[in-house]
Amino acid sequence: MAQEKMLSGCAAAAQGAKFAEVEVICSFPIRPYTAIMMELARMVANGELDAEFIHGEGEHAQVSVALGASAAGARAYTGSSGVGVTYAFEVYSPAAGGRYPLQMAIADRTLDPPGDFGSEHTDAMSARDQGWLMGWAATPQEVFDNTLINYRVGEDPKVMLPQFVCQDGYFLSHIPDKVILPDLSQVREFLPPYRAPHPLSPACPVSHGPQIRPDQGAPMDAQRAITFLDLPKVIEKATDDFNRIFGRNYDPFIEKYQMEDAEIAFFIQGAHANTCKSAIRHLRSQGIKAGMVRPRWVRPWPTEQIAEALSHVKAVGCVESSTSYGGATRGGNLIHEVRTSLYDLNNRPMVTSFMAGLGGDVIMLDDFYYMAKILTQMVKDKKTHQLVYWVGFEDEA
Amino acid sequence: MPIKVPKDREVPFGAITPAPIKQQELFITSNWRIVRPVIDHEKCTRCFTCYIACPDSCWSFNEKEEKMEWNWKFCKGCQICIHECPADALSAVPELDFEDGVVRLEKPF
Repeated sequence: MAQEKMLSGCAAAAQGAKFAEVEVICSFPIRPYTAIMMELARMVANGELDAEFIHGEGEHAQVSVALGASAAGARAYTGSSGVGVTYAFEVYSPAAGGRYPLQMAIADRTLDPPGDFGSEHTDAMSARDQGWLMGWAATPQEVFDNTLINYRVGEDPKVMLPQFVCQDGYFLSHIPDKVILPDLSQVREFLPPYRAPHPLSPACPVSHGPQIRPDQGAPMDAQRAITFLDLPKVIEKATDDFNRIFGRNYDPFIEKYQMEDAEIAFFIQGAHANTCKSAIRHLRSQGIKAGMVRPRWVRPWPTEQIAEALSHVKAVGCVESSTSYGGATRGGNLIHEVRTSLYDLNNRPMVTSFMAGLGGDVIMLDDFYYMAKILTQMVKDKKTHQLVYWVGFEDEA
Repeated sequence: MPIKVPKDREVPFGAITPAPIKQQELFITSNWRIVRPVIDHEKCTRCFTCYIACPDSCWSFNEKEEKMEWNWKFCKGCQICIHECPADALSAVPELDFEDGVVRLEKPF
């Protein structure tokens, strides 16, 4: 029977892995994601989950173990946070190039500048171009759901790619909310058992990860690029099936909030979107037509959907929770792709970005009001004054 | 626009292939060799030191002809065998000295 529980983002991720009936788990501690592994270790010890639980000697080993397990035909699960995510970096490209659909949960954490442990998206965002699927959840329920949806999409025979299932550290990973846990039979209908097309097996020996020639490298890159072109269709189908089986109402790519008549829009990913919605309700009561677009995927980037959703607004503010030092705008990462997505529109909106939610900072309601003030001013002046604002570090707008 | 990989540049999905019995013909990897080891069969004592030393298993023993055989397809020209050979039977010869030298290839293979 489906049941409702109060679960933190970490507990929801662990439940997602349990319902996905993962077969191999590899752990190494680092907060805040550790709570996922604590839950899974308890489940395995109590006999709730029949999985091989392996302690890696570091994050590089964690992803390597998961890669090996996936190559042998097991549904593999691992995860990390912050510097752990970057320590495993070498294994990301081979995991995607060798087409191993393992899953890595990331409860994000600031990279050491030195020694910060607050939430920030930079750790995972640094790995966004490694050929993995990637997206942020906004609620514990979405963490649970994304765990299942990502396995389904990643293990699709046409796709066969690993997945980063991200959530904001602390804001999501450690704050409980209601989560509907479905029947296992529903999950089995949605997510068939993983069948590796060419598993490592003595019965039918195969070579994985061979040395290839430089002229074979580009075709390997093209293989992944082609898969990413086909991914949106697979994601749409998986989300439709998910909505049907579990009675949910997800848009496959983006969440839109009060966008019908919006003049200014926040573009934001992750759990800060919840505060953003409260801010929008308040702004609307003051007569400011604000809206929000939240991407559910960073990779593949939903270019068309974002362009369509933002085509009628006048000013967009990308709320960046990650850094791109020295990048095109000297700010964050999202604006690069948002501006590119909007470039070919006939009436493209003005786009700026706000550095907020860095290093564990909470993005307060007042911060959203400050951003709204800047966006409103842009609309009034018909001018993008700055490409990036460091929220809390600027002179009064 | 769809991405099209030319037929002659296609690579197996994920580079996963049937396991080779002896060597992987799909991925010949010696095209960056600058020198190759050349053996003097008169000096060679069949001690198999080269066979043990080669990181790519490019030396084998031809039992019929009773002499060591070199595999050009996977030798990277690292010269470990040359340095290890106790009989000085191996010498490094530049690829340019050979008509089929890999440095002369216009396409990798």
